[in-house]
Amino acid sequence: MLRTKIMSRIAFKVTGAQGQGINSVGEMVAKGLKRAGHHVFGYREYMSVIKGGHSSYQLDISDCHIESSQTQVDILVCLNYIGLKRDLPSIKKGGVLLHLIPDWKFSAEDQKILDDNLIQVLYLPIEKILKEHHSRPIVGNMCVVAVVWGLLGRDYDTLKEMVTERFSYKGEKVVELNHIFIDEGKKFLEEDAKGVSIEVPKPDPSCKDDLLLVGSEAMGMGMVHAGCRMYCGYPMTPSTPLLDYMASHQNETGVIIKQAEDEITAMQMVSGAAWMGTRAATSTSGGGYDLMSETLSLNGIIENPSVMVLAMRQGPATGLPTWSGQGDMLLSIFGSHGEYPRLVMAVSDCQDSFDLMPDAFNYAEEYQLPVTILTDKNIAEGLFMQPQYDLKKAKISRGNLVTDQKKLDALKSADRYDPNAEGGVSPRWLPGAKAVTYCAQGDEHDGEGNVAEGIDNAIAQMNKRMKKMDTMKAVLPEPQLIGSQDPEILIVSWGSNRGPIVDVIKDQSNIGYLHYTYLWPLKTEKLEALAKKAKKTILIEATYQGHLGKLISMECGLNLDEQILKFDGRPFFYDELLSKLS
Amino acid sequence: MAISLDSNGPGVQDYYCGTECTWCDGCGDYGIMAAVKRALVELKIHPHEVALCFDIGCHGNASDKMLGYRIHGLHGRIIPFAAGAKLANPNMPVIAFGGDGASFSEGVNHLVHGIRSHYPMTFVMHNNANYGLTKGQASSVTWQNQPMNISPNGIPEDTLQSMEFIFSLQPTFVARSWSGDIPQMTRVLKAAIQHRGFAFVDILQACPTYNKFTSHEWLLEHCFDANEKGHDPSDLEAAKKVAFDTTDRVGCGILYQNEDHPTFYERLKPREGVKTTAVEEVKITDVSGLMKEFI
Repeated sequence: MLRTKIMSRIAFKVTGAQGQGINSVGEMVAKGLKRAGHHVFGYREYMSVIKGGHSSYQLDISDCHIESSQTQVDILVCLNYIGLKRDLPSIKKGGVLLHLIPDWKFSAEDQKILDDNLIQVLYLPIEKILKEHHSRPIVGNMCVVAVVWGLLGRDYDTLKEMVTERFSYKGEKVVELNHIFIDEGKKFLEEDAKGVSIEVPKPDPSCKDDLLLVGSEAMGMGMVHAGCRMYCGYPMTPSTPLLDYMASHQNETGVIIKQAEDEITAMQMVSGAAWMGTRAATSTSGGGYDLMSETLSLNGIIENPSVMVLAMRQGPATGLPTWSGQGDMLLSIFGSHGEYPRLVMAVSDCQDSFDLMPDAFNYAEEYQLPVTILTDKNIAEGLFMQPQYDLKKAKISRGNLVTDQKKLDALKSADRYDPNAEGGVSPRWLPGAKAVTYCAQGDEHDGEGNVAEGIDNAIAQMNKRMKKMDTMKAVLPEPQLIGSQDPEILIVSWGSNRGPIVDVIKDQSNIGYLHYTYLWPLKTEKLEALAKKAKKTILIEATYQGHLGKLISMECGLNLDEQILKFDGRPFFYDELLSKLS
Repeated sequence: MAISLDSNGPGVQDYYCGTECTWCDGCGDYGIMAAVKRALVELKIHPHEVALCFDIGCHGNASDKMLGYRIHGLHGRIIPFAAGAKLANPNMPVIAFGGDGASFSEGVNHLVHGIRSHYPMTFVMHNNANYGLTKGQASSVTWQNQPMNISPNGIPEDTLQSMEFIFSLQPTFVARSWSGDIPQMTRVLKAAIQHRGFAFVDILQACPTYNKFTSHEWLLEHCFDANEKGHDPSDLEAAKKVAFDTTDRVGCGILYQNEDHPTFYERLKPREGVKTTAVEEVKITDVSGLMKEFI
C-alpha cells in the first residue's frame, strides 16, 4: 500500500560505512532543499575511524527555522547492510527505507517492524547500474541523491544545475557522468517506486538566500571578520574543522596559519602573537585544553589578551572522541593553576558562532585577559541555515591600548601593571612602540613587570587583576530569555542545547528558556528574579553533574528544581526532549 | 629579517635597569647579558626595538635586569612564544633565551620544531649543564658519573649529545661560545641576530655553585675560537667535526651558517608580497566574499 504523509517536520537519514560518501549525499540534498526555500538542519554521527565505521548524516526539514534533530526519520537510506540491521527502529510509521544490498533477507523480527509500521522498502540495484556505466562506486551516490530527490518530490533540473555547479571544476565528463546517474535514479523511481513519496513541509521563500554552513565555518568567518590575523592549532576533533576552515582560506584571507607541534605550542604562539599586538586564536578539545591551561594562567598574570576555542566532546581522556558533550564547562572556568581573571563564553549556533567573535576579541583586549569560547561537536559540525550575516554590526574595541605617540611619550614603565588603574585595567602598549619598555612578567611583579615578592605588592597586584572580573561583569549582557517572558516553567541551559530547547518550546506559552552565553563571570540577577516567580526551574545540560546548576548555586545560592541531563555523546533530540518536558 | 640601522644608536646605559642582580658571584649570566647588551648596541637596536623572551631558570631572572620589551614566560615554552611574537611582527628582532633544562628536557620538542620551522629568530641557550635555579639537579647534558643533587650516584641515563642532536635537525645557524668571553659572545650574537632564519647559539655557562665539572677555569682552558683557527662556517662537514669533537678542546665561534634557506614566514604563500604585518592588519574585515560559498 502506498502512503503519502503530511508533516510539518520530516527527517531523512543516510547511513553507511565511513568513506562511502554519506556526507556528500546529505550535503547535496541539504543545499538543494535550502535553495528551494526549505528550512533544514544537518546532523552527523560517525566513529573515530577513517574507513568502515558506521556513520550517518541526518537532515531534519521544516517550514520554519530548525536547529534540532529527531530520533525518528521518514526516509532511511542504507548504503551498507549495517544500517539495515541497526537502524530500522528509527523509521517512522509510513516511512521509506531505501537500500543498496542485493538479495537482502530481513530477519523475521525486522520484517515485523517493517510490516507493523507500514514501511516501504525500496532496493536500488546500484551495483548493476554501476556495471552498466563502468563507473566507480562513489558516483553511485548521485543515484541515491536522485532517488531521495524524487521521493521528496523535487525537480530534477535543479539537481542537475547544482551538480554542474559543484563538479564543473572536475571537467565536463564528470558532470556528464553525474547527470547520467541522476537520470538512472529518476528512472528507478518511475519504474520501481511509482507513487512513493514523502511530503516536504511547505517552503519559505524568504530563506532561499540563507547561508548553509557548519558552526566551525561560521566561527572561522567570524574570527576573520573580527580581525584575527594568526591562527595556530593542533588537530583534535571536534576543533579540527575550524583549523581546517582557517587554513583552507588562508590564501584569500592572508591569515598566518601554523599547524603546531602540539597544543602547548599552539597556545604559546597565540600568546606571543597577542603580546606583540595582533589578534590571534587557537582551538582544541578537552585534552588539548589541559595542555594549554598552563599558558592560560600565564596570560592571566601578564594580562595578555588571548582567545581560544574549546570544542567539547564527551570525556574523560579520549572518551567519545567524535561525539559531543558539555563536561568541560567547569574545567574552562576553574581549570589551570592559580587565580586569575578570565572570560568564558559559549556559542550555541551559527548566528552567535559568528556574531560573538568580534565580542570575544574585544573583551580579551578591553580587559587584557584570556577568553575561552566554548563550542561542541553538535555546533562545530552541525549544519545550520542562517540568514546572511550583518557585516555592519561589529565594532572593534582595543580597550586601553596606547598607540598615540604623545601618549606613548608620557608613559612610565610602571603604568603597565599599575595596581591603581581604574577598574584594574591598566594601559597596554605594544612591543616596538617608541616608548619606555616593560616586562610581561610571569612571576608576581610590580608595575613595571619587575619580579616582586613583597606582601603589599602581592596583594595589590592580585586585587588589580581580579578587579577586572567585576569591571567586566558589570558590562556583560544578561542571559537571554526566549519564549514566555513570564514563564511558569523556567528552563536554564547554554550552548548547543539552545537549538532543541527553542524548537521544543516554540508552541508552549508557559515555558521560558533562559539561555546563558556568558558563563564566567556569571550573572544571576535576571535568573533569580525569574526563578522566584516560576513554578518550576529545570536545568538542561549534556553533563553528568549538572555544571551550570552547580555554578549558579555557588554564585547565588539558588538550586534549580529539576535536571534533565545526558552524557551519552548525543545531542538532545527534539522528540526526546519533548517527551521529557511533557 | 633585516634590521633597520639607526644612525643615532643607543648606548649600553640605555639598557640599564636599576634592579638588583640576584645571580651568584661568578655566574656566567653576568657575562652573557653583558654580551647581549653589547651586541644590541653595536647593531644600533634601541630597547624599544627588540623583543627579549626569557624562559624559566637562572637566566630568566635577567628578565628584569635589563630594558627592552620583555616576556618572562613558562618553563620550556619560550621558543613558541617568541616564534608567535616574531610572526606577528617580522620587523622586530626577537631573541629568546632558555637553559639546557628547558631546551633539552621540558621543551625539547619546541627546539626541534623551532629549528625545522626556520622561524626568523635567535635562540640563546644558557648551557650550564644543570638545573641551577632548583639547586643543582642534573640536566640531560650533565656528564656521566657526575654526582648531582637528587642523582648522588650520577645519572642513570646517557648524556645527550647535544650538538649531534642539533645538527640532525638541519639547522641554518649554529654557534657556540662561553660565558667568559664577552667579545666572542658579542660577535656571535650579532651574527645570530642578523641571521635570516633560526639562529641557535649554545653558550657554555659557568655555574660556580652547582657545576663543578665545567667551571669557568675549565672553560677558559678548553674553549678556543674556531673561526680564528680558520674554520669556515659555510662548510657543514667541518662544522660538525668542530661541534661534535670536544674531547680535548671545545671549538667556539660561528660553527655553521647557511643564508640560502627561506624562513617560515617567507614560505607562507598568503604573505607573499604583503607589506603590512599581522599587528598592523587588526581591523574589522569584510567577509562578504567568504559568505558566498555557503549560499
